[in-house]
Amino acid sequence: MTTQLPVAPATRRSRFALGAGDQRKAGPIAYVLLIVAALVSLFPLYWNLVAASNSGARVQQAPAPLLPGSHLLDNLSVAWNEVHMGTALVNTTVVASVVSLSTVLFATLAGFAFAKLRFKGRNLLLGLVVATMTVPPQLTVIPLYQIVTDLHWTDTLQAVIMPSLVAAFGVFFMRQFLVEALPVELVEAARMDGANSLRIIWHIVFPIARPAMAVLGMLTFVQSWNDFFWPFIVLTDNGTPTLQVSLAGLGAGNHTVDSAIVLAGALISTVPLLLVFAFLGKHIVGGITAGAVKS
Amino acid sequence: MRISGNSHRSARRTALASAAGLAAISLLTSACSASDDDGGSSSAGGKITLHVGTFNAFGFDNVKGAKLYAEYEKSHPNIKIVEDNVQDGQQYWDTLKLRMSRNSGLADIQAIEIGYIAEATGPTMADKWTNLADNPHVGDFVDWKEKQATTTDGKTIAFGTDAGPMAICYNKDLFKKAGLPTERDAVAKLWTGDWSKFLDVAADYKKSAPAGTAFTDSASGLFNAVLSSQPEQYSDSSGKLIYDTSPGVKTAWDLAAKAAQNGYSAKLRQFDKPGTWAAGFKNNKFATVACPSWMAGLVRDNAGPANKGKWDIALPPQNGSWGGSFLGVPKSGKHVKEATELAAFLTSAASQAKNFAVTGNIPSTKAGLADPAVKNSKMDFFGDTPVGEIYTTIAAGIKPVPIGANDGQVKTFLTDNGILDIETRGTSPEKAWGNVKKLVDDKITQ
Amino acid sequence: MATSVKADSGGSPASVPPSPAQHRRPSPSSLRSKIYHWDLKASPYAFIAPFFLCFAAFGLFPLIYTGWLSLHKVQLGAEGQAQWVGFENYAKLMGSEFFWHALVNTFTIGVISTVPQLLMALGLAHLLNSKLRGRAFLRIAVLTPYATSIAAATLVFAALFQTDYGLINSLLDVFGIGPVQWETSKWPAQIAISTIVTWRWTGYNALIYLAAMQAVPNDLYEAAALDGASRWRQFISVTIPSIRPTILFTIIVSTIGATQLFGEPMLYGGNVGISGGSGGQYQTLSLLLYQTGWTNNNLGRASAIAWVMLLILLLIGAIQVITARVNRKKLGG
Repeated sequence: MTTQLPVAPATRRSRFALGAGDQRKAGPIAYVLLIVAALVSLFPLYWNLVAASNSGARVQQAPAPLLPGSHLLDNLSVAWNEVHMGTALVNTTVVASVVSLSTVLFATLAGFAFAKLRFKGRNLLLGLVVATMTVPPQLTVIPLYQIVTDLHWTDTLQAVIMPSLVAAFGVFFMRQFLVEALPVELVEAARMDGANSLRIIWHIVFPIARPAMAVLGMLTFVQSWNDFFWPFIVLTDNGTPTLQVSLAGLGAGNHTVDSAIVLAGALISTVPLLLVFAFLGKHIVGGITAGAVKS
Repeated sequence: MRISGNSHRSARRTALASAAGLAAISLLTSACSASDDDGGSSSAGGKITLHVGTFNAFGFDNVKGAKLYAEYEKSHPNIKIVEDNVQDGQQYWDTLKLRMSRNSGLADIQAIEIGYIAEATGPTMADKWTNLADNPHVGDFVDWKEKQATTTDGKTIAFGTDAGPMAICYNKDLFKKAGLPTERDAVAKLWTGDWSKFLDVAADYKKSAPAGTAFTDSASGLFNAVLSSQPEQYSDSSGKLIYDTSPGVKTAWDLAAKAAQNGYSAKLRQFDKPGTWAAGFKNNKFATVACPSWMAGLVRDNAGPANKGKWDIALPPQNGSWGGSFLGVPKSGKHVKEATELAAFLTSAASQAKNFAVTGNIPSTKAGLADPAVKNSKMDFFGDTPVGEIYTTIAAGIKPVPIGANDGQVKTFLTDNGILDIETRGTSPEKAWGNVKKLVDDKITQ
Repeated sequence: MATSVKADSGGSPASVPPSPAQHRRPSPSSLRSKIYHWDLKASPYAFIAPFFLCFAAFGLFPLIYTGWLSLHKVQLGAEGQAQWVGFENYAKLMGSEFFWHALVNTFTIGVISTVPQLLMALGLAHLLNSKLRGRAFLRIAVLTPYATSIAAATLVFAALFQTDYGLINSLLDVFGIGPVQWETSKWPAQIAISTIVTWRWTGYNALIYLAAMQAVPNDLYEAAALDGASRWRQFISVTIPSIRPTILFTIIVSTIGATQLFGEPMLYGGNVGISGGSGGQYQTLSLLLYQTGWTNNNLGRASAIAWVMLLILLLIGAIQVITARVNRKKLGG
């Protein structure tokens, strides 16, 4: 099946060889469309801020508020103090960092092997990788939980980290990228020069794969950051919470939910990611732009 | 071949070094936390930490609640209490099921909502709880309460927290505008003894209803209210499902379907996330709501101070109970004895009375219900309404009802997939009933 | 470093990779050569080993275990008392109208959410791939939805789609369109859920397309421009074919994501989320799986649903491969 993905047409140049895409200036229509897209993208985030800055009663009252209110700091401090947000922030950072680093590293190695090396069982194994992506997580948590409890890992961060150390998605992602981006002659030439596999990985594969590694790293980081279901099952909010687990304990009243508090918590959990985007996003997206071509 | 320049190499080294650093930190954190006990409880320096797993709000805590934890820690200096709270009851329960199945990650005390108590006393879970049947505290509760937490072979798996005696909250303003009496005894007289009279009042209300208002908030709420007062509900005394022949279910279904079809309900979904239902209180969209004791607090919070004095509480057509929870002690805990003592304390008559003062949760113990502080209490929002007296009277008049392990699932199908479908999607009651039957036959394996 | 590499790789095409094993170094007797050969043979396995070791425990085992469960009558929490029933769970699924409803819903929501999402992402990537003022801001802006958690996003959209007071119905009212029942009516509900999915993932896919587009050689466009091709023509005949593997990748990933759609409909529906609305009007396969396994405790049947989902995806994958092959033949590739 998917192991036999169409290879880039022969007329194509390698992504590495040349080119920086379409380099012309955008017209006014493009600007209008892009600004609309940006507004649509940002609006729910803005509304999150609006809700987090109004009172809980106001948020659940029709019509919904459209302007920020005056309760932002109150709501943020309630959210921060009601659950263990500080610990959760540290834990989530650790989990997301380790998971994305290891995912990127192992996915690049395996992706390179699947993309450019010949070995027995390659297609079968790649098929297996893609097949596993299809198993719904709502069910795999049950066998996973058995493993984790047998290892006595409940309420520890490694219970969250270990099952995510590798990702079938990542392997597939890197494989698809390297199939196109890595000219096989480069590997051949290095081999001719007597370079061993580690040198090839270090000096050829990593530099070429860097933009894709950056993208995969960021995607994995975000995904891990927002992961809820599995951490929620293996962690309790008073043991070693992650942010999403903490958020689950937020805003509970006597048979009511304070939406403003919940959304204030959501805001706290989103802002660090946005900061990462703001600082690294430019670097990463820039890395893609310049990456393979100019660096 | 020359592959890499120096500057890139050093940049990569930095990246690699920081990666290694992070990995080291993570290993360290996980190594430290790995030494924690499996059961989530630990005893450091002779001090025992007890975890209490809850959902929603139970009113025990030291911040918004009755400070029962602080009180207990003071009288038991060797005990430290930590509450693990999840806001969403469904998420809480689904996770608890998995944890129970592996005896892992459990708190020393776990709260159980009434909707799940039948599952908790069912065959797969019953043996995982500490049997409390011989605990003298069991005798403190009104008998219907502890019966709900008792298995068919006589094990009692949990202590009751609050009870959900049910009355009818009504909007005096709207009643007046519709030409109905507004005084609570006169209102109760309109429907006393028979739920079908409640629908007759609904018909009267509709004739001269203020524009844009309905008689009651939701047909599902009405279904729950009617059913809660029926002597036989979803299962017979042997635990077998009899929902399709049960007169109680039929009565509740017919009345709720009629209310939905005749437009007696505002077609709102109780507790919906966007808050339309909550807003309905504020904007006076409906005149009545089936009102278990915990609902009274919601009426107050949702209607807001602007509507103070508009609402009152009347006795229901028939006594019933809707809601209430339990505290169970998982057998696999490290401190079962201490946890049982704490659970007994949290559900004692005195604690329940203190809890009531803060949250309005009606006690489920006989002494708690008789406590003058509970019995004579009022809520500022409801003016001179004798809130405590109304609810304690109803609670005393509730009769035990047999429950089965699948009751919760059947109830969900009947309300969320049956009544709600008639109400919001215009499905005919016959078709909706057929759908419910299909759902039960397809999805519930007995 | 790329400058030197660029020289090395020349302009030669990266088509089907010849086997590295064909290259043999001289002086076969030396130790170094032995190591070299060993390295050549073993390194692929060494590269995939870390992945497969973790994968076997945390990916493969659950997959197989689920298959085993699907052949049993077993309750959640009582796996020890599993009772062998063969293919009964599958047979019951095939005879269950709820399963077929969920299958159709998954398919329709999948199409409504995936197709516009990928098309918009392509367009967005194309726009972002030109010289722009505020380019960095725009790129980050379209990526922010991806950073928002499903819970927060769904809460916001549930408020926007609220039938009586929601912003969207207020807007439609201006154009004289009556209040749309965004939750209780089947198609509006499916569109609303698809909107959440599309909103969250369009920027993400655009970023991936953008990465691929950045690598398309500029001279291809210049050549096309010389031939008098319009911008639109260039987009169709240069950009799209050039990033085909990436497009295929996003199609596969989105298809899998659509098949597993869970969080959005569940949270959108609030307390009727798991049953996908009162009439099951937006119950997806994942929701049905969850309801069957967790709410109704029927773990065996839930596992059977998981395996049917897997088989469906394998089937879709096979169809994609066949179409791709046929297309390539047509193109004379």
